Amino acid sequence: MSNITSKNTVIIALSSALLFTGCANQTPNLSSGNVEYGDSKAVETLTNEFGSTDLQSIAQSMSNSLLQSPVLSAKLRPLITVADVKNHTSEYIDTKAITDTIRAKMLKSGLVRFAVDTSAMQNQTDELIRQNSGLYKKSKSKKLGQMEGADFRVEGTIASIVKRADDVKDVYYKFSLQLIDNESGVIEWADEKEIRKTSNQSMF
Amino acid sequence: MKLTHPKYKKNHTNFVLLASLLLTLNACSTVPTAQNPNSIPAKVEQLGEMSYLHVSNIAAQKRKQLLFVQAEISNSDSDNQQLFYRFKWLDANGFVIDNDEAWQPLLVYAGQKQTINGLAPTPQATDFRILVSSPDNTGNP
Repeated sequence: MSNITSKNTVIIALSSALLFTGCANQTPNLSSGNVEYGDSKAVETLTNEFGSTDLQSIAQSMSNSLLQSPVLSAKLRPLITVADVKNHTSEYIDTKAITDTIRAKMLKSGLVRFAVDTSAMQNQTDELIRQNSGLYKKSKSKKLGQMEGADFRVEGTIASIVKRADDVKDVYYKFSLQLIDNESGVIEWADEKEIRKTSNQSMF
Repeated sequence: MKLTHPKYKKNHTNFVLLASLLLTLNACSTVPTAQNPNSIPAKVEQLGEMSYLHVSNIAAQKRKQLLFVQAEISNSDSDNQQLFYRFKWLDANGFVIDNDEAWQPLLVYAGQKQTINGLAPTPQATDFRILVSSPDNTGNP
């Protein structure tokens, strides 16, 4: 009797194991079915507000233009810093996200260097002060007064013109960027990227 | 079966001829058509077949150590066409470099020729591909 019981137990255990294995997910994905990953580089036209494609287009266009500018090729790996890009549009746009992408693209080329900008300056000075606080070996700590001043700074604006007529909304963005020689104050390079987005809200 | 026997000699010759012919035909069908690596088809990757937009010209040169590419897009349709494109950069060994370039939209008017530009992200890029798609295609990005 006990032999039959133990046989049954084994069969039930095996069946359960097979059943659970059969139900197990075959892909390393835990999903409710409502969320999926998309292509972060795809052209996004969900609305005509400022979007990822606008950011990527501006950054691509500006970094390409800046890297080909004669003033940057005249110097060996010139040092640049990023100043503000002022948002003159009616919507919230994180302009630092745009300049961060431009900076990343330019740094990848290896043809230019970037000095810390004003937003990162506090972290830079905090680190230098911490290293020179007496807690570190003098020979192993970075010295004060060794920071390099940037040859150029990049600054700009983003502006927009929005028009509506019946069901049509037209948005025009203009992103302007300029490269200024920090010593002479001369604008050595400037470029613009224009984007037009039109949406029709008609239901029929 | 001894093929050298006079009875089989003619058959043997026919067999050899037939085998040679088959081998030749087979070889002809499997040899890939040689494509010039600098030709436009070799540089363009289409997501689906584009009916009206065509890459009609491509020029490339090194500018300040970076490979600069300019391509001409022609619209043969009587309507405006939307193009999506991106560049893919390759190093001297054929490896893809920095594959994070975003798709760019471009409106090409009816019968118009537009140019698109690309600049390699690093001096290591020595070759490129232009990926193109239009909304009429199956592979719309």
